[in-house]
Amino acid sequence: MRRFLSLLMMVLFSVGITNAQTKQISGKVFSSDDKNPIPGVSVFVKEAPSVGTTTNIDGQFTLKNIPANAKALVFRFVGYQTQEVAIKGSEMNVTMSPENQKIDEVVVTAMGMKRDKKALGYASQDLKADQLNKSGNPGLSTALQGKVSGVDIKPSSGMPGASTRVVIRGARSFTGNNTPLYVVDGMPIASTSDFSTGNSVTGADIADRSLDLDPNEIESINILKGQAAAALYGIRASNGVVVITTKSGKGLAKGKPVITINNSTSFEMISRKPDLQSTYAQGSANNFIHNTSMSWGPKLENLPNDPGYGGNTQNKYTKLADGSYDLNSHKGRYYVPQRATAGLDPWVVPTRYDNIDEYFKTGVTVNNSINLSQSTENGNYSIGLGSATQKGIVPSTNMDRYNARAMAETKLSKEWKTGFTMNFVTSNINKAPGANSALLGTVFPAPINYDLKGIPSSVPGDPYTQINYRSLTFNNPYWAADNNTFNEKTDRFYGNSFVEYSPNFSWSEDKKLTFKYQAGIDSYTTHYQDIYEYGNTGKKGSIDNYGVTHLGFNSLFTANYSMKFGEDFDLNLLVGNEINHEKKKKYDEFGQDFNFGGWKNISNANVVTATENQSKQRTVGFFGNISLTYKNMVFLNATGRNDYVSTMPRGNRSFFYPSVSLSWVLSELEALRGNSVVSFAKVRASYAQVGQAGTYIENYFTKPTYSGGFWQGNPISYPIGGINAYIPNSTIYDPNLKPQNTVSYEGGFDLKLFNNILSLEYTYSRQNVTDQIFPVPLAGSTGLSQLVMNGGKIHTNAHEAIVNVKILNQKDLEWNVGVNYSKIDNYVDELAPGVESIFLGGFTTPQVRAGIGAKYPVIYGTQFKKDSQGRILVDEDPNSDYYGMPMAGDPGVIGNCSPDFILGANSNFRWKNVTLNATLSWQKGGQMYSGTNGLLNLYGMSKETSDRTKEFTYPGYLSNGQPNNIKRGGASDPYAYQLLYSDILGDVDEAYIYDMDFVKLREVSLGYTFPKFRGVNVSVSAFARNILVWTKLPNLDPESSQGNTNIGGYFERFSMPQTSSYGFGLNIVF
Amino acid sequence: MLKKIYALFAAGLLLSACSEDVMDRINKNVNDPTQVASRYTLTDVMTSSAFSVTGSDLSFYASTYVEHNVGVYNQMYNAEIRNNEPYASSTYNNNWSNIYANLYSLKGVITRCSEGGAEAGNSANLGIAQVLSAYNLAILTDCFGDVPWTEALQPGVIFQPKLDKQQDIYAAIFKLLDDGIANLGKATTFASMGTQDLIYGGDKAKWVKAANALKARYLMRLSLRTPNYDGVITAINAAFSSAAEELKFSKYDGSIAISPGYAFFTDRDYFGASQSVHDKLVARSDPRDAIFFAKYPGASSLLFAPNGTPEQKQGIYGVNAFNYRATSAGSDEVSTANKKRPTYMISYHELLFLKAEAYARKAPQDLVNAEASLKAAIAAAFVKDGLTAAQADAYYTANVKALFDADPLKEIAMQKYLAFYQSESLEAYNDYRRLAAQGVSIPLANTKPFPQRFTYGSDDVTTNPKVKEAYGDGQYVKTEKVWWAGGTR
Repeated sequence: MRRFLSLLMMVLFSVGITNAQTKQISGKVFSSDDKNPIPGVSVFVKEAPSVGTTTNIDGQFTLKNIPANAKALVFRFVGYQTQEVAIKGSEMNVTMSPENQKIDEVVVTAMGMKRDKKALGYASQDLKADQLNKSGNPGLSTALQGKVSGVDIKPSSGMPGASTRVVIRGARSFTGNNTPLYVVDGMPIASTSDFSTGNSVTGADIADRSLDLDPNEIESINILKGQAAAALYGIRASNGVVVITTKSGKGLAKGKPVITINNSTSFEMISRKPDLQSTYAQGSANNFIHNTSMSWGPKLENLPNDPGYGGNTQNKYTKLADGSYDLNSHKGRYYVPQRATAGLDPWVVPTRYDNIDEYFKTGVTVNNSINLSQSTENGNYSIGLGSATQKGIVPSTNMDRYNARAMAETKLSKEWKTGFTMNFVTSNINKAPGANSALLGTVFPAPINYDLKGIPSSVPGDPYTQINYRSLTFNNPYWAADNNTFNEKTDRFYGNSFVEYSPNFSWSEDKKLTFKYQAGIDSYTTHYQDIYEYGNTGKKGSIDNYGVTHLGFNSLFTANYSMKFGEDFDLNLLVGNEINHEKKKKYDEFGQDFNFGGWKNISNANVVTATENQSKQRTVGFFGNISLTYKNMVFLNATGRNDYVSTMPRGNRSFFYPSVSLSWVLSELEALRGNSVVSFAKVRASYAQVGQAGTYIENYFTKPTYSGGFWQGNPISYPIGGINAYIPNSTIYDPNLKPQNTVSYEGGFDLKLFNNILSLEYTYSRQNVTDQIFPVPLAGSTGLSQLVMNGGKIHTNAHEAIVNVKILNQKDLEWNVGVNYSKIDNYVDELAPGVESIFLGGFTTPQVRAGIGAKYPVIYGTQFKKDSQGRILVDEDPNSDYYGMPMAGDPGVIGNCSPDFILGANSNFRWKNVTLNATLSWQKGGQMYSGTNGLLNLYGMSKETSDRTKEFTYPGYLSNGQPNNIKRGGASDPYAYQLLYSDILGDVDEAYIYDMDFVKLREVSLGYTFPKFRGVNVSVSAFARNILVWTKLPNLDPESSQGNTNIGGYFERFSMPQTSSYGFGLNIVF
Repeated sequence: MLKKIYALFAAGLLLSACSEDVMDRINKNVNDPTQVASRYTLTDVMTSSAFSVTGSDLSFYASTYVEHNVGVYNQMYNAEIRNNEPYASSTYNNNWSNIYANLYSLKGVITRCSEGGAEAGNSANLGIAQVLSAYNLAILTDCFGDVPWTEALQPGVIFQPKLDKQQDIYAAIFKLLDDGIANLGKATTFASMGTQDLIYGGDKAKWVKAANALKARYLMRLSLRTPNYDGVITAINAAFSSAAEELKFSKYDGSIAISPGYAFFTDRDYFGASQSVHDKLVARSDPRDAIFFAKYPGASSLLFAPNGTPEQKQGIYGVNAFNYRATSAGSDEVSTANKKRPTYMISYHELLFLKAEAYARKAPQDLVNAEASLKAAIAAAFVKDGLTAAQADAYYTANVKALFDADPLKEIAMQKYLAFYQSESLEAYNDYRRLAAQGVSIPLANTKPFPQRFTYGSDDVTTNPKVKEAYGDGQYVKTEKVWWAGGTR
């Protein structure tokens, strides 16, 4: 490090000083689109703006009295990009590009380096504010959906604050983090949740920390997809980097402050809901049963004739005290015991209820933001306030988020510059649970005869004794929404300040040295509460208070030196040091067995256990970057970074990661210049290596717990009678842990054809991930359950393509269409010896896992019994109840989760002041476990179960290879359908696997910008999100699932639903 | 110069931010201890051996197979009708791993208390660890047959331990018991476990008695292969002299720690009252018939579940009254006693039954002592169930004596089987298999195939090819007996 600095100094001081003479320059300015000269372009000397002129009718100019120290001329014209051109000779012909035809797009790359997009030897994709905020989406991740290639974005549901998984170019870790690093204004911040949803089959979702970013405050996002792009960030960047630049006022015209006010208001409804049968009432085998979860009962209109409950029949409800029956008073009615419990008249006429529509409410989302920005002579600043308020479609779910930020930058002198950025966010989210704790487990399958909304959810005078249509394995959904609590509250501050020093050596303009030091913090506290009130599932309830306090400190020093040598070479050198230090404290207070209802506090619990966990983590990195440019045509970039990571074992903490990338702009070749077909062509290639560190902890002892297995709570909690106990922890850590390594190769090209009308980018990348770190399951006979070690290989082939077409490109009429295509194939090559698969989440069966030789991930569970050709066999024993029905076989892989490809399409149309934009997503292939669909069949509530009388032949095969010809059903076999759906398919997980191909109209927005009036710009828009969903998955939106882990998107069971939104927006700038 | 010093200083500061010592300090685990005294580990091995190993799943499934309970729902229903569960590797997996986890904890204690360990010379804790190791290891091999032992318990070193023969494992069990007894007899300067010993409060003499009791049980277990009935009697004479000394876990207080049978009923409710036990009791006019069963809470009458052919329904059949019983007729209040029922690891009444059987089997046969032991055993069992010794005596004279006289071994077996109703089903299952091999059959009502053993745990079947091979498709449990019951593995 020190040696390098002194070397750098020597280079700097050895550079001489050049001199120039007073000059006169003349030339002509052309437009790039039609090659015609542009009149009226203002031309002035950069160093002395007072020396200037404008081009004449032929686009010609002559500029005299150019001072000796002038280095460049500036060309400025409305509707065109301002250009700076270095002074060379006395003749200068300049081509200017219209604003909307930026060829030299500047993007922010690793470590805040600004680069011409054409210089990049790897794929990256940038989005500007207007592309993000077209439809009032309060979540940043979901606002990116359909707009970038190579990135898979999976929202868990439409619940306010729902987690979203963003994975770039497939998974690198089986069970660990696969989401990218977020860097905001030069500082990495936490973006993942501190708590995992674990197996993801109980409780509510947990929001991720990227939710704290307000999309309204973002100016641009650049996604560094490949390892070569991200390598400079070292060990934390193997999953790619999302580089976010917030609004700063920098680009504004100097002088007047600009105030921007934004509002968007939208209304949400469930995007897809189950289609149910509407004929049959609650019960089994054609008989009404008042407290079963099944709807295999009689036809609704036959309820009064039911032998057990009907008003027309002799039963215990029509029986009088004297032993006779009253068959007159309740004629045409039937007895509902729950109504009796609720103190209502139990005798009712059969009525069909729409329990789903009655349960969901219209959600409301309101986003407001105000921003004040100004650019002054010496700097710029921006202050913003924002709020996002959401009420979910499920009662009791909502989110309130408030953001405040300030940032400023100022020049202290010619050499010194300083600035800061500060962000504060506070959020409060109320959630609802899924799967085993599901709220919707009693909404979707509620029997058509049961008045779920009308019958009170609890006994009058006893709010903690539920009334439900079924056993309390699942709660009454109204009771649960009113009484159970799933809350998270976050307060977060993050920001940084910097000092930049560019020593003003009297070098030529071609050389520049900049030192920058930036220090930042990311501090937050989140408190979670999962409370099951007294009376939950008929038991005494529990409370779990847990949370985290996190402080991240980031120190970043960089020295940047750029120079030209000779006519043709540009060199840029960057060296730096980064220290990232994090402190965390987590706590967990669990109480079970409340004394009584109404006091949801841990003091009301009889058994209380508490744990705490404090941890620290530090990464120290030294890095360097060399960029070499030849003739603005060939760009070579090499990086190296050495990280020291505290979480690795002693002796294995230091890692070096190199990357190299090359970009060659072919269109700069003499032979291709001015080509009428190819306006721009570039090929690029890169190689990089980045790792992911693991966690090493010395073997330790822990307090034993007794939950799981058959137990619903904790049957044993230490201390027992004041006595504690400690046993070896069941997970141990390999002291020889190496970092997991990702080697990536990437190649591609960028093409712009026919005067930039058509542009095409294609990238192929290959990632080989070796030495994966994960908890390897141990044989039980070793005495422990897991060893965290290196033990797995995975590789990814990814194809990404971006096509943009400017169909119309006139002053008042524009239409662009773009397509983002991603095909990401992620294969598990190897697991630790003896290990065939890794559990990612779910039940014992079905579950989501990673298996050798399979695409990652797969769903594992009970299969149908099949013949050697993989055809479903049916039971051929005529004495069996299940004669002619399929059978359950051994467990195995039953579903492949990953899609064949995903495609996003965007259309942007403008006519004068009116804009119309649309974003479409298409996912081809991919499967998921849909517990809801399977269970709606099992309960006899799905539309599929409407027909219960027709004869059927199950589409299977006989053992002799012939198609099944055994008929079931019909008048003589009335329960065949119930047997099939309830008893047989209910035991075969494979029957719950569905294709999840979908096409979605993600966003549509129509905008109008009013003509500027007294300096005020007003624009309005109307938008809709997530409408017109077409999918192979029956009944549900495929973007609704369980978990914030790697199972997210593939496993669904009464998960919170996805929503459609309709809204309008208002934007005022003055 | 100043610049140079400054640069050096800065560089030094940076490097010191990531030196190995600094990083070690940062990565230090402040939340958990890396070493704990052996008494804290032994505490949980006692709890876990009682609650998880003896008292829970193994016992629940065994109770279905020996018909102490009838599985009427979900997993237990499947076990009842011999569908899937008896053959699946996931069925007993939790306990398979629990036992090995206990053995791993105990291995740590043994190392720690042996020469070179941090508590070298703590012979009392060493002895307790050896006795508990023998206990866990015996349950392991009794249930699963040939299992990994010599290569087991080396996580990160041996990933795929080989199986050892049951015969060799039994040799290890006896050695552990003998070593344990020897160590418990030594003087030590280390403090007694005291209250950390949840079973005997640190009383070494009682642990010696428990070790002898276990020795008697395991000697009897091998009687098909190597009969040693005098050895059984000798060991019993060195074991418990009353129920007060038996090896049982009775720290269940009903809220912090809940008796497993009760917890299973409230959390799962998968059992119905057994028709076949009821029939056996009725045949003997046994007063326990009145206290073994209760009607389902809220049900109008006590309905027994037919063994092997129940309907898969909850809320209909009567229940095992020791798991859940109304405190008064018609009330759904839970008997608080059931939340606190102890888990018997080896009971005083079991010893007396063993003694009765040993006298009846030894050469020459000693039926006088056998009958005396049986009477004492039944009396102890009655008292355990809340009845009196006088009731036992009357019952013996009126209903048992004739049966004993007709077939002493069979009646000893039957009485032991009935006495094990509640929480000793696992040992009843072991007895059933051994006695069947020795020609004494306890009649069962379920006609579906009786599982001869438990399947290996999936934690090994999925990661250890040696166990996977032994498991095959799991159907072996139908036919293959364990070695001590006449099988080969």
